[in-house]
Amino acid sequence: MILLMFLVIALLAFVGLIISRNHRQMNTICMVHSLVFALISVWLILSGKIPITSLAFGSPYFFIDHLGIYEVLICTVIFTCAAVYARGYVDGLLESGELEKGSLRVFYLALTSLLIVMVLTFFAENLAIFWICAELTTIISALLVAILSTRENISAAIKYIFIASTSMLFSFVGITLLFEISRSVTGTGTLSWTALLLQAHSFPTGMMTAAFVLVFIGFAAKSGIFPFHTWLPEAHAKSPSAVSAILSGVLLNVGIYGIIRIYAIVHQTPSLGTASSLLVLFGMLTIGIAAFSMIPEKNLKKLIAFSSVENMGILLIGLAVATPVAIFWVLFHIMAHSFTKASLFFSAGILHRQYRNPLSNEVDDDICNVFRYQPLAAWGIIIGGIAITGMPPFPIFWSKLFILLQVGTVSPLALFAMLFLIFIAAVAFGYFVLTTFTKSSEPDKATDIIRFPTPIGMKLPIILLLLLIFITGVAFTTGEVSFITAIQNELMFS
Amino acid sequence: MIDPIIVTDLIRVFLVFIIITAAYIISTRNLSSLVTVYAVQSLALVFIALLLFQIEGSTTLLAIAALTFTTKVLIIPHFIGTIQEKIRIKSDIQFHFLTPIKSLFLSVVLMLVVYITFVEIMDGASAPDDLFFFGAVIGISMMLMGMMIIFSRKRALTKVLGFLSMENGALLFGLFITELPFMIEFLVVIDLIILVLLTTILIVGLDSTIEDYHERLQRFHLWEDDLP
Repeated sequence: MILLMFLVIALLAFVGLIISRNHRQMNTICMVHSLVFALISVWLILSGKIPITSLAFGSPYFFIDHLGIYEVLICTVIFTCAAVYARGYVDGLLESGELEKGSLRVFYLALTSLLIVMVLTFFAENLAIFWICAELTTIISALLVAILSTRENISAAIKYIFIASTSMLFSFVGITLLFEISRSVTGTGTLSWTALLLQAHSFPTGMMTAAFVLVFIGFAAKSGIFPFHTWLPEAHAKSPSAVSAILSGVLLNVGIYGIIRIYAIVHQTPSLGTASSLLVLFGMLTIGIAAFSMIPEKNLKKLIAFSSVENMGILLIGLAVATPVAIFWVLFHIMAHSFTKASLFFSAGILHRQYRNPLSNEVDDDICNVFRYQPLAAWGIIIGGIAITGMPPFPIFWSKLFILLQVGTVSPLALFAMLFLIFIAAVAFGYFVLTTFTKSSEPDKATDIIRFPTPIGMKLPIILLLLLIFITGVAFTTGEVSFITAIQNELMFS
Repeated sequence: MIDPIIVTDLIRVFLVFIIITAAYIISTRNLSSLVTVYAVQSLALVFIALLLFQIEGSTTLLAIAALTFTTKVLIIPHFIGTIQEKIRIKSDIQFHFLTPIKSLFLSVVLMLVVYITFVEIMDGASAPDDLFFFGAVIGISMMLMGMMIIFSRKRALTKVLGFLSMENGALLFGLFITELPFMIEFLVVIDLIILVLLTTILIVGLDSTIEDYHERLQRFHLWEDDLP
């Protein structure tokens, strides 16, 4: 009944949104909806019931395993933070006229739909159902990118739809092929993750490699892997910041989640060598493109978006190494990246409100006297920047360190290449912060800038997420370790 | 019952016809004929599904034929046609990177590459029959041709038709390679309809000023302005 519970709560939220009359009501519904989902996820984890392979409602197409609930927990935490943040942020967008009143209900309905579809995506037991849900996340998030209805936003949304959906069609062909492979081996085809994982050892190499490549194309586009990454910086930069945080912190995880699942299947077959070489190649190119694109970047949100591309590349390489240690830190990195990136986008959103830079425009950010006007957002970017570039004591330091160490055991050359590219990305981020945050306004213009009264609701998620990443960076509980180890075991990586 | 040899020959004829429609979609500049050709291409797919039903006898094929007819021959072309009339775009004369002649030449090369790749990887398939192999190769080739339309055309509406043509390729591939459960085929089509709806609505926005866009959305009952 758990899945039904999620669906009923989502339905209640929809009804509430339809009958609500103002922004405050809509936002409260969205907040409660996300929070209840987060609490159910925590309860499921603490209850020790996971994995639930046979649901009373939704079986056999859905199940709840450790990886699924892990992703749902990350997703619901970020959605809750985004909903809290959205109250003050959306008010600002309405005041400035960037968001039309008529779009408000569409915005919250899309946000609520995205959350339930995300949950279904991560709970899908069947590869085709997962594909359909992942496609729905593209459609709904594209709507959120286009919500400001400027030509630039619509253009970014359409670009996102075309790149992601075109690539996802290749994934669908891969899934069809996988079904046929399973049918040729067992007599009855299946697309169940669990069944495919168990059957995989007897799959023919050539067809399995082809199926993996095709499925990879679609999920790579969803997670912003080179050369399908071009939608990502535009969509992230032009969306409202609450949406950017969700795109980067949750939506990219959908693609990576799909790649992890399909790679776990390939891991049991002789196609592993080709698959891991492919992941290393695309991972390295992704980090490289992201790092070099970050150097000249003058738009904060685009810079943060390119950093997401870089981190997706790191995840691919960690996955390719596929040792139990590497997989453990890949899974940990997913969580660390999501929380850190969401906090960065929230801080960037405050700066955009302060300096009135329209989200849709392509011009450089005009930030000055940042510590005078928005000290919390400035520190949010600095601390978040330190965390995302992989400095101690933040969790990304540990995940990057151990992934790099594991890469070193396989190929010292790849290790040095990765180190070099990660260093460039870190320098680019640091350079941006140094040059932008030390700028002062010209004396005659100083009085023109009016301080944006940042509502507490916009500050709270940043503080909460920074605290969360600090705690996860300094404290590893045995529960945390055994939970991630359980994911490894379920995926047969150990 | 029709003679199986005739059925097989008919399927081959329809496959060739589908390739011709894909080539036409790549090369034509007239938007309304693009929509018509897409509907005709989808109709050819319906006939192929029906002919395959004659060979295999699976009711899923009948259901796929009915679903394809309703959505891809009737609903989607009608919707795109309506949007196209509203935004008053008649032709798409601009191309990125590839002109129609180059695109057609590249299509032939792609088909050869797909054929050679398939010869390599299809050893383990349970459908090694010539016809099924031919259908799968044409399905993937169509997908690649659709992708070329997406990358080489400037108008977003033409890109949507390229995407739809790609999707027809994926369906064709599925018909010849294996038989997915109908529920999945059904959900994929629903997903496709939502995608096409959203994309075309957004395209209206690309072709309008913001005020005009809101006005048009209100006219299509896709917008509300009732909040206090």
